[in-house]
Amino acid sequence: MGIFDRKPALRWLAPLAFVLVVGGTGGVVAVTASADPPLEPRTAEQLLVAMQQASVDGLSGTVVQTSDLGIPDIPGAQGSDSSLTSMVSGTHTLRVWYSAPDKARLALVGTLGESDVIKNGADLWTWSSKDNTATHRTLTPGERPSDTPEQSMTPEAAAAKVLEAISPTTEVTTNGTATVAGRSAYELLLRPKDTRSLVSEVRIAIDSEKSIPLRVQVVGVQEQPAFEVAYSSVDFGQPDAAQFDFNPPPGAKVTEAAPHPSTSKGDHKADDKAAAADRPTVVGTGWTTVLVAKTGDLQSADNPQLGQMLNSLQRVQGSWGSGRLLRGTLFSVVLTDDGRVAVGSVEPEMLYRALAR
Amino acid sequence: MSAAEMLAPERVLATPVRRPGRSLRFLASELRIIFGRRRNLAGMLVLAVVPVIIAIAVKASGPSGGGDGPDFVSSITGNGLFVALAALTVEMPLFLPLAVAAVSGDAVAGEANLGTLRYLLTIPAGRTRLLAVKYAAIVIFAFVATLLVATVGTVMGLSLFGGGDMTLLSGSQTSLADGLWRILLTTGYLAVCFAALGAIGLFVSTLTEQPIAATIAVVLINVMMFILDSISQLDWLHPWLLTHWWTAFGDLLRDPIATDNISRGLLTAAVYAVVFWLAAWARFSNKDITS
Repeated sequence: MGIFDRKPALRWLAPLAFVLVVGGTGGVVAVTASADPPLEPRTAEQLLVAMQQASVDGLSGTVVQTSDLGIPDIPGAQGSDSSLTSMVSGTHTLRVWYSAPDKARLALVGTLGESDVIKNGADLWTWSSKDNTATHRTLTPGERPSDTPEQSMTPEAAAAKVLEAISPTTEVTTNGTATVAGRSAYELLLRPKDTRSLVSEVRIAIDSEKSIPLRVQVVGVQEQPAFEVAYSSVDFGQPDAAQFDFNPPPGAKVTEAAPHPSTSKGDHKADDKAAAADRPTVVGTGWTTVLVAKTGDLQSADNPQLGQMLNSLQRVQGSWGSGRLLRGTLFSVVLTDDGRVAVGSVEPEMLYRALAR
Repeated sequence: MSAAEMLAPERVLATPVRRPGRSLRFLASELRIIFGRRRNLAGMLVLAVVPVIIAIAVKASGPSGGGDGPDFVSSITGNGLFVALAALTVEMPLFLPLAVAAVSGDAVAGEANLGTLRYLLTIPAGRTRLLAVKYAAIVIFAFVATLLVATVGTVMGLSLFGGGDMTLLSGSQTSLADGLWRILLTTGYLAVCFAALGAIGLFVSTLTEQPIAATIAVVLINVMMFILDSISQLDWLHPWLLTHWWTAFGDLLRDPIATDNISRGLLTAAVYAVVFWLAAWARFSNKDITS
């Protein structure tokens, strides 16, 4: 008879072996995935140029965004993870379809919920399944809508933001190759020359064939990326045109949003003067820029949980006054007792100096 | 049942004459026992009552439902199909797992408790085949129970609220036929998830002779997985939890259907099923049967 009959205890090896096989298969897949054929080396300049000239005819994929900013959970920002206010912490999944500059759809996927932004020609729709609401806005020709939070969530948008920051303050190098979403990619490495910045480096993985950014990682004070946005799967085929048709379902609350304020120039200047006092002050340049703004009295705000959270923050004081300090992995925030806030990707000392000015 | 097939050669060696008909007869008698037991019927009645309550409550209170209710409840007035989804969502964390836990915990421990296990083993059934048939019956029960909830929900919903186009999570609309198809897919997906929990139940059931202890243990394991899944500091553990993928059924209600999490959920369920079936096999085949 078989060995299992002579030594019954050996039967326990069967479930264990299966667990090992499953775990091992996962490991092998991960190893083989990173052992891709070598790409011909490219310089950082070549990559930057290729990325700026890149255009795709069609794209659909899934984007996963993770952030570990080292800040306390913001009350009210959790819960329904398909709502747009929940972007600050945790992991978020986004489905993306793109076929032309005026045909794009983004879906922020939550558990049993979804928020969509659909751009089709001159129509811009937003949809929230939790609230059962839809918003429609007619775009003026040439207008590029950029004020929806989802649109800043794709690797492309993140890379564009980072590249804006490229200046003499940044050291740009290449970092070999990487594999993202099963595609081989070049990796561009951006390091702030100013070592006072909390950002130690930014890595951008650029598709070797299509030259679009597939992944952006921002490394702060910790070794793990504090922020990452990456495609987990991507397909460069033209998506079905029906993806971009949106008709609000019956029963949904539909709001017609006003055209973008920048088109009505008349009132704009009057607003400007009123807003100038509240506009944030910018101190410093490049990676160590500090923003100082007025917040009003947060403690007496309606949200008691927010007040509680503020009270749990470290108390700090100096020649600039006193307040509370929030130290994240990527940025620091000081909320002063006299209703100002200073934010920057720097050590708190630089925030104090900015507040003292 | 790939687990049973993987182990089939061992069976063939043990009994040279293999009669598939005998396994089927054994399965049929097993199913007759499960679906003939009054406590199981009572349990299924409770499962079926939930969609009825949801449908009637929403019908009685009118379309005022805000966003406070469980997911999908506010969508019911628009389309009756959502009664089935709301019922499945409500019963997913506890009721359906409890039903599967009761049946799977009873599978071996119940026989041992009644003293019938040794008689089962005197017929040349073989312990491996006994476990295979027991697990097949658990899987069938998981599918029947889930389908029961979905069917009652669909029938109640369509009769009280009517059908028509169904609004998906993505905001687009789909036909009634496609809506029914998606509910069937959801039911199948959740049934696979519960069947994997049934494998844990089968294993626990081989550890004890007290069926109620096995059932409680499985419910505790299930609740424990939900608790672990809700602790954000343990997020490295979450993808390995069986229950983590259960809510992924929502991906079947998007346009187009998102398959990543669904396939990951099915894979996780399959791995759990195989591992715990093998563990049950390892435990059961060298266990001394005294009752």
